[in-house]
Amino acid sequence: MAVNWFSAPAPVARRVRGYFAPVNRVAQMPVLFDAAEQGGFNLDAPPAPWISLGWIQGFVRKPQSKTAPVLTGIPAGTLEQVRETIEAQVSFEFLSWTKLTMALSTGSQHMNLLAAASGTALAADGAQAIAAVTVESGSTSTFVALATEDAAIFTPGSIIALDIDYTGQTGYVGTPISGAYLRQPLTDVDYIRRVTFNVALVAQVSSTGLTLAGPLPGGAPVAGVKLQSITGFVDREGGSFYQEWSALFVMEGNQGDRIFFHYPRLQAMASAEEVGLPLDNKHKGGPERVLLKGKFLALPVIDPLDGERVLCYRSFLPAVKALV
Amino acid sequence: MQNAKDSFYVALRARLAAINPERTILMRGTLRPGILVEEAEAPFSQLPNDVFVLRWLGLGADLDLGSTMAAGECEFAYQTCGTQSFGGLDRGRSLTGMDEELIAIMQPFSTPKLNYTKTPPATMLTQVFWDEPGFGPVVVQRDRLSRSAKVMVYSYEEQGSRWR
Repeated sequence: MAVNWFSAPAPVARRVRGYFAPVNRVAQMPVLFDAAEQGGFNLDAPPAPWISLGWIQGFVRKPQSKTAPVLTGIPAGTLEQVRETIEAQVSFEFLSWTKLTMALSTGSQHMNLLAAASGTALAADGAQAIAAVTVESGSTSTFVALATEDAAIFTPGSIIALDIDYTGQTGYVGTPISGAYLRQPLTDVDYIRRVTFNVALVAQVSSTGLTLAGPLPGGAPVAGVKLQSITGFVDREGGSFYQEWSALFVMEGNQGDRIFFHYPRLQAMASAEEVGLPLDNKHKGGPERVLLKGKFLALPVIDPLDGERVLCYRSFLPAVKALV
Repeated sequence: MQNAKDSFYVALRARLAAINPERTILMRGTLRPGILVEEAEAPFSQLPNDVFVLRWLGLGADLDLGSTMAAGECEFAYQTCGTQSFGGLDRGRSLTGMDEELIAIMQPFSTPKLNYTKTPPATMLTQVFWDEPGFGPVVVQRDRLSRSAKVMVYSYEEQGSRWR
């Protein structure tokens, strides 16, 4: 009889891919990943709302949970163990600089540098900006409808930020991804667009609006959203806001097997840090690739299955016809 | 390992035919994609131009796993003199084009393992997989530019088979 199975050795994976999804900070709702239903997804097209951050390197999981023995008898022996604390850390390096990778790897707010109006006073996180334009109805996640005179302001290659005006809100701001937490009202009408994650590159400009090179992280713009040009990004050492995201890391084995590490709640636990990686290992003084270093603390969620508090789910989908 | 070698070659041949159907070679009266296995052809007095010649070199095995893993070192040798229409002045561009094609056909870095001694070929249980290629320097011989690249190809032995 032909053997129709094989004994699979430990998975061999080339790299780790990272995906992040925004935690609803107001409702304290993380995004859950179901390996049973979603485990076979195309790694280049993750299921919504997961956002691919591409390959990462130096992926290290560091469990920090502490256990203690319950002692009994003379001399004392361990009767059983109890888990005193649960804690886990994750660290890795991003291989690209984008709005999201910068924000994830910084310890606090991450801001957009709004294009400055001429003659305004200098400011470290961006001067007073050129007035925002209103997004028209009929927009989608990849097309921003604008009045003809507003569309003419932009050119292919412009980077834009879309969000509502700031009108004195406090608490978490930014829709639908929270970009900051305000304890007291501010006066900057553009503040939410400074911290929003709803940014994109303009691919084409027409008289009816802007076609984007990629979809807006927040999906189709809602009513009342306005648009501004940005020139780049800025973050700060210090501040009190913590980024919190749901994270999914995938190792794809060469036999089609997959390992998933799903952290429902990850918060950045270190300030912004960069790592230099020489392009030529034999020439240490040569050009270096500047990688964003990310270090995160996993926060617990209550698993509705049994009420346990957990930090991470590790799932494994074996290769087809591999012994289990 | 023979099934792995066959599967690796056939996968790369199909990928090459897809990305550059014009890279072909006339062998024994048949027009084929421009990639061939040296040990499966009559000996060459000189390697053909503008074709990838696949050559198997080293071999290793890890016997301490649930399924034995074999690793074969594969070398791709290729060379070009450019095109006649440009008097060979495009030989650098031609070699760069072959470099890019080799990188392209390497991806994805795995392919199903098939037994090509059966008709039709029988799909086996595991995948053949490999690493990124390491490219050697360009060698110049008069008007001919040549290069070789090496890659390690890995395969698991299914139960009941021997070095397949």
